[in-house]
Amino acid sequence: MTSVEGILFAAALFCCSLATGGYLISLLVRRVALAKISTWILAAGFMLLALNLLFAAVHWTDWSSFGSRHFLSIYAWVIAGIYLGLQLKTKTRLLGAFIAPFILLFLIAAAGQGSDRNLVPSQWQGGLTTLHLVLAIAGEALFVLASAAGAMFLIQNNLLKNKKPGPLGRLLPSLGDLDQINHFGLLWGFPLLTLGMIGGAVYAAFVWGGSWPADPKVVWSFAVWVFYGFLLHQRLAIGWKGSRMAVLSCLGLIAFLLSALGIRFCLATVHNFI
Amino acid sequence: MIGLVGLNHKTAPLAVRERLFAGCQEQANLLADLKAIDGVLEILHLSTCNRVELVASLEDAPRALGELESFLARYGGLADEEAAACLYTYRDREAIRHLFRVTSSLDSLVMGEAQILGQVKDAYRLALAQNATGVVLNRLMHRAFRAAKRVRTETGIAANPVSVSFAAVELAKKIFGTLAGRKILIIGAGEMAELTCTHLVGNGAEDITVVNRSPAQARLLAEKFHGAAVGLEALDEALCDVDIVISSTGAPTYVVTGEMVRRCLRKRKNRLLFLVDIAVPRDIDPAADEVENVYLYNIDHLQDIVDENIKNRRREALKAEAIIEEEVANYTNWLKELEAVPTIVSLRSKAEGIVRTEMEKASGWMENLENADREKVEALVHGIVNKVLHAPVAVMKEESAEFASQDIVAAARQLFRLDD
Repeated sequence: MTSVEGILFAAALFCCSLATGGYLISLLVRRVALAKISTWILAAGFMLLALNLLFAAVHWTDWSSFGSRHFLSIYAWVIAGIYLGLQLKTKTRLLGAFIAPFILLFLIAAAGQGSDRNLVPSQWQGGLTTLHLVLAIAGEALFVLASAAGAMFLIQNNLLKNKKPGPLGRLLPSLGDLDQINHFGLLWGFPLLTLGMIGGAVYAAFVWGGSWPADPKVVWSFAVWVFYGFLLHQRLAIGWKGSRMAVLSCLGLIAFLLSALGIRFCLATVHNFI
Repeated sequence: MIGLVGLNHKTAPLAVRERLFAGCQEQANLLADLKAIDGVLEILHLSTCNRVELVASLEDAPRALGELESFLARYGGLADEEAAACLYTYRDREAIRHLFRVTSSLDSLVMGEAQILGQVKDAYRLALAQNATGVVLNRLMHRAFRAAKRVRTETGIAANPVSVSFAAVELAKKIFGTLAGRKILIIGAGEMAELTCTHLVGNGAEDITVVNRSPAQARLLAEKFHGAAVGLEALDEALCDVDIVISSTGAPTYVVTGEMVRRCLRKRKNRLLFLVDIAVPRDIDPAADEVENVYLYNIDHLQDIVDENIKNRRREALKAEAIIEEEVANYTNWLKELEAVPTIVSLRSKAEGIVRTEMEKASGWMENLENADREKVEALVHGIVNKVLHAPVAVMKEESAEFASQDIVAAARQLFRLDD
């Protein structure tokens, strides 16, 4: 890692911490102005992270210089990008209070990883692996977004059902907007994850042929994929909307995160690089 | 100085306000008449359904204020004791504060309402067009608008609705986001339902359906909103289609039952449904609220929100008062300077002029002096002039801080013959 790259990463991390703090405080003191400022700070962090990744790409010679730091950074970058893109369309800045902590979490995890550590074992490096990883990450990032919108929907729903809209209710986006974001996240997250998994499967078929290792990550990812597929189906075909979708999206995300952490630290998996 | 005479909804009963309002409306050249009053330099006349006020820049204030009071009493046909009870008179800082509070809607019947600012602006425009204002009132009015703008943006005084119909609109926005293209169903033909519907349509809702026991009445209301009228038997079907329901019938039992709502929700594919029940006794079964994605608000719920918002506005008003004080201080500082500063400046320049002429006269014999001695003489002369002027300048400054500099300033101008 070059020193410029390191400075850029540190600056991006700083911006994201600042933005996360700003969002959370804006939620506490109920002032939208602070969330607006935080959005700009997050946008700055997003640009810095993009530069950081660009620098890494320029100095990228082969897979051995591509560390898990970059990988987690891409994760954070994609989520931030989707969120900021959404900000251009809808004025739901408070969503940041739910998204920014995720971005920060990924960046902190990235900071903890040495970039010199080889991310993907050398025998598996290749174009198809990259495709598999990037698509899966983008898909999962969209699910995070859908679930964050779902969590906010539940809070707003609770306030409105109890006839206490109050200052917090005024601050949170409308139910309609939140449901739309949930819809958007599922609608685009699912095909991306699907393509990512197909990429992985095709690659695995090349490497291992017919008999794949019974990898817990593969099994569990498949379960998560089926669950989200089920949600999307219910949404599009049956017309599930609103609170039921919100509850299920949140449960889906919690299950996904727990499994990702559990598998990463407790079970043996071929995906143990991330 | 600045003076203000007037009456408002707190001091005068409606009958008096009506009389005065009408009296002032009838008078075509009211401002010209007011300006003709001895001692009135600049004047502005504000007349709304809740208040009639005269704001003026005055000379010889006590007498001029008395004239303005009797002017209002005459136009309103007020007897002496009536005028004494209804009219209020403010001067200087008090008058400025009152005007700023009025413009910022802190003195309004519904605190935080937006209408008054427009009315004050109109009054100012009229006065401006008739050349009734000058440098003092022009600046005063601009400062009043600035204070109103600050109160509006820096406090939450106008943030939340304080009427039931607007509270319903706010809730609809919290549920649907945008109201553009939303479909509304009105059950019954209550006035409140109509008002709420008007606000919803004003916010983009379209496609109105009216259900009523009497088809004729339904048609009447539907025509107003270019909507459709259907009979009571089509209620089930209509429920499946719309986003917002406003109900205000006189029916003794529930018109919309929980079962009806549950049934239609399946057909409407779980789309969000906002039910507003403003009827007493209630029209919509409270069980409907238990259905997923349905939000039922009855008149008490809405009233609670309104009460809470009114409480909030009172809290915000405290912040607004602080802003007003700041703006009042800003303006009075300017005004004070306006009164004393020109006199102080001309007094100083007159003294300097005298020094200059006298030094020129003395230049003949002063040439014989050493350079150092000449400088000493000049310093002595300047020292004496400054010492002599120090007391009058200090007194003018002190008095202007108390708004009492006018007489002193006038005396100074006369004593030193500054106006010659």
